[in-house]
Amino acid sequence: MSGANAAPWEDLARAAVQRIGGREEDDASAELRELLVIWLDEDPYALPIERVREIVRLRPITPVPRVPDAVLGVISLRGEIVQVLDLRARLGLAIGDAAPDLRRHRIVVLTGDDGQLAGLLVDRVSEVLRTPAAATQAPGARESDSVCALVPHGERFLSLFDVDRLLDLDLRHEAGSSS
Amino acid sequence: MAVRRKRSPARSKAAREFVSEVDELLERMRVDLADLGDQRARGALVPEIVNRLFRSAHTLKGVAGMFGFEGIGALSHRLEDILDDLRMGRLDPGAPAIDLLDEAVAVLAVEVDLVGRDEATPEGSAELIQLQERIEAALRQDPAAPAAPEPLPFDEDLLRALTEYEEHRLRESLRSGRALYVVDAGFDLLAFEEGLAELSASSRALGEIISTLPAPGDAPESQIRFSLIVASELDAETFDRRLDVPGASVRTAHAAGAGAGQPEPVAETDGARAETVASVAAPAAPVREERPADPGEWAPAGETDPSDEPHARPADDLESLKSISETVRVDIRKLDELMNLVGELVIQRGAIGAIAEQLLGEPRVARLARELAKAHKALDRKLQELQAGVLEVRMVPMRQVFEKLSRVVRRLRREAGKDVRLEIHGGDTELDKLIVEELADPLMHLVRNAFDHALEPPGERVAAGKPVEGTIRLEAYQRGNHVVIEVSDDGRGIDLDVVRERAVARGLIAPDALLTPKQALDLILLPGFSTREAITETSGRGVGMDVVRENVTALGGLVHVESRHGHGTTISLTLPITLAIIQALVVGVGDQRFAIPLTAVLETLLVDPVAILRSEGRELLNLRGEPLPLRRLHAEFGLPAPAAGARQAVVVVGLGDVRAGLLVDRLEGQQDAVLKPIQGPVRTVHGVAGATELGDRGTVLVVDVAALIEGAGRRREAA
Repeated sequence: MSGANAAPWEDLARAAVQRIGGREEDDASAELRELLVIWLDEDPYALPIERVREIVRLRPITPVPRVPDAVLGVISLRGEIVQVLDLRARLGLAIGDAAPDLRRHRIVVLTGDDGQLAGLLVDRVSEVLRTPAAATQAPGARESDSVCALVPHGERFLSLFDVDRLLDLDLRHEAGSSS
Repeated sequence: MAVRRKRSPARSKAAREFVSEVDELLERMRVDLADLGDQRARGALVPEIVNRLFRSAHTLKGVAGMFGFEGIGALSHRLEDILDDLRMGRLDPGAPAIDLLDEAVAVLAVEVDLVGRDEATPEGSAELIQLQERIEAALRQDPAAPAAPEPLPFDEDLLRALTEYEEHRLRESLRSGRALYVVDAGFDLLAFEEGLAELSASSRALGEIISTLPAPGDAPESQIRFSLIVASELDAETFDRRLDVPGASVRTAHAAGAGAGQPEPVAETDGARAETVASVAAPAAPVREERPADPGEWAPAGETDPSDEPHARPADDLESLKSISETVRVDIRKLDELMNLVGELVIQRGAIGAIAEQLLGEPRVARLARELAKAHKALDRKLQELQAGVLEVRMVPMRQVFEKLSRVVRRLRREAGKDVRLEIHGGDTELDKLIVEELADPLMHLVRNAFDHALEPPGERVAAGKPVEGTIRLEAYQRGNHVVIEVSDDGRGIDLDVVRERAVARGLIAPDALLTPKQALDLILLPGFSTREAITETSGRGVGMDVVRENVTALGGLVHVESRHGHGTTISLTLPITLAIIQALVVGVGDQRFAIPLTAVLETLLVDPVAILRSEGRELLNLRGEPLPLRRLHAEFGLPAPAAGARQAVVVVGLGDVRAGLLVDRLEGQQDAVLKPIQGPVRTVHGVAGATELGDRGTVLVVDVAALIEGAGRRREAA
């Protein structure tokens, strides 16, 4: 990913929010969208709630051979067998320093574009955020290929995932190459 | 992945619904027409078949109207006309109009095909419109045979209660010299359906039930009486004796063998009996007074204008509703859900069994524990029946696909003008509906290949000393837990030299590769072997053979090619009977477990590492004098190798004619498993057919034996 002349994404995003800010007050009935806020270490991310089917606690995962590293294996979800992706591996991130607190780990079950389910292992899930649909900003070029927008959240920004791209493992082979 | 479902191509929803609705109907009509043809040849029509055809045409007309396909509706209506005339005896069974029935159903099938591809127009193809006109012309040529008004041995009130069809059957029965009996019985009002059904079944065994009429006579309030008019070849005494339904009384309305023109004058010989007969429909009517003195003048009700006969249509419609509801169309996903439930029950049963086992060791509750164990056993048996029952519902005969293929061949024959005969065997062989659906395309491909490329032009065939007419043969049969489907032809066969040349040219094998004939034949199954322009001048087979293999492998099956150059080719597909429930052998590799479908397991053995031989870099086992290629499951699945020198277990698996041994660390027993697709971003995992839950053993991957065996073969060829 080349980002030679891209401004740091935070700057871009702040500028965007300032532009949008005024408009938001004019139109109080602006359409709201709901986002699920998930965390890896101290970094928040967001998933569109309409693609989240359920959130389950960490449970034994059966490994599956010959799949990309991002696929941890499969779990059984009331009779359905669902692949679980490790979000950290999917994004190609290193494992953080802090000792993982497995009790707070969650598997977010997402609905794929073809109706198939997929699990996403995250460090924790914090809340459902309601935010004006307009208050998003296209990501900078340095952002991961599966992030489709940045959403202001207090002082910081959430990286909002495009679920279809997140679940498309072919888009990003370097994150987890198969054997 | 074996059980991942393909999404159907985008078609308009209405068209899809229509096609699925009508396909089955046409199927049934085709079967019935074949029967009708036989019956015509023998000169004896079975009224039930004609009726069913009539109802099918009637339903088809209705459905077509509902979906706005006027052309199909109009042609169905013409069909209905022919069949109605036939069943009412207005049309002679030998009439030329009846010859058009087969053609009409074929044209309808083509038209429905067009609908399925969104290429149909509401008014229908030119062929369809033209056929309608031909039928109309044929019916004009065969004017309805004037129905001779024959006297019937029943009074007018009863006759009025009969439908036109029933009356026609009554006349037919008299003409054929059968006896007419009236079977009378009263039933408890609350449970009369059962009793009536029993009575009907008994009567039907002895003859034809022409009509069932309620007889609201002087029965007690809690009772309801029925009268059945039954035509039978049996004499009165035999009929009465054989009927054997308690409480039913039999009266003779017309004795067997009496001439049609002279119905037994029942009333005059036995007034009391005649009165009872007459009272069947209208007991309150003053029978004697209303009956004309001369039997020849009895004008049956409705005879003058059949279409206005008030009872005929409503009764027919009711009947047609009834017969359709005998079969239920079920979305296969609902069956999948049921199957899942059964699978979960099986797991629960396992848990109960384990508890019972534990309790048996406790002296204080031994008696209860034994009871529990017994109950568990009974539950087990019932569950097995349930499982078998649900499985059976999913089974459909291969005929469904074979019929479609024969239609394809007929069309190809018409278009290409090629003389080809299609032989079909084993259409009754049953397979899981899902597999049958998925097989349609690969089989179509094989048949087309045979037709287009394998069968030589007539001149070439004659020169080779073969009959001008080429033969394509479809055969299905069951072998153990698998079904084998063969597509063979007596065409030019596969030239192995050409196959080799092509494989070398495409870089699939080294120029100096040593191949057995079988290995060479299997080359045609490799992706990239053949291209469209290559086929005709080379192998005569092989367009998209890799696609066929891929589809069949995805179903857990195997493709096998046999061919003799100059004599023909047989391609056989070996498939599991069902994908849904499998008996699995659970094996352990390292700290993981895998399930191997028992249908593919031939035997298991324990081997010492020293018994494993090596040959050409591959591991082999000497199994009773035969070399058995080995595959180490841990290597296949990238798991850590077990400690050297440990004894290992070999699971001998076989599919079709191919065998291999899978080396595993442990055998952990046998278990029922519901095979489920794996959902998620990774579409296929080589060597994994799906996953299953094994109760306390958690989620376990199911090994795709076909893929592992295929992999073994392919690697060898590529080497």
